[in-house]
Amino acid sequence: MGKLAIVLASGELEKIQAASIIASVASTLGNEVIIFATMDGLMAFKKDIVENKAWKTAGDLGKGMLETGVPLFIDTLKQAKEIGNLKIYACGMIMDMLKMKTEDFVDIFDDVVGVSAFLGMVEDAKVLFI
Amino acid sequence: MEVESDRVIDARGSYCPGPLMELIKAIREEDVGKVIEVWSSDESSAKDIPEWIKKAGHELIGVFRESDYWRIVVKKTK
Repeated sequence: MGKLAIVLASGELEKIQAASIIASVASTLGNEVIIFATMDGLMAFKKDIVENKAWKTAGDLGKGMLETGVPLFIDTLKQAKEIGNLKIYACGMIMDMLKMKTEDFVDIFDDVVGVSAFLGMVEDAKVLFI
Repeated sequence: MEVESDRVIDARGSYCPGPLMELIKAIREEDVGKVIEVWSSDESSAKDIPEWIKKAGHELIGVFRESDYWRIVVKKTK
């Protein structure tokens, strides 16, 4: 049983998909998993982006993911939250800067936190930056 | 091989981590001792689900190749 933290800073679908799968499976194996969504990684959770599946993709792979009906990260993460110990936090700095509210995002975040709070949570965790 | 399963999850057509997540949900819902099998047309799931089962500490009864999908059979042990 370990603790895994992922700083999700990329808005590219391919990277978010990879992060969500690693985080979700880890959380189902008794690990405590934390995702900190910041920068473009936070924007990927905006309601309008999610509704229109308007994520940035790095290339054909990401476009293919949208066409083939692979489980998308939003659904994978929601499932994992029901099953495992997975917490997802939105970056307060970006939300302040862009004057955004929790309601602007899909209902997936456990809280809005700043970088100090996040660093406190991950002192004893392995951290991946994606 | 004939296996008497208590529950079958048909996750054919889904991709990683779909079949695994559906199996995990079923394992949580069932009682200890129950045998659950998941069907996957996704080969990477057929390879990775046994790894999850080992790590999670359940018993892998087997992975059976059918015509165009795999049956992964697991017994919930805790």
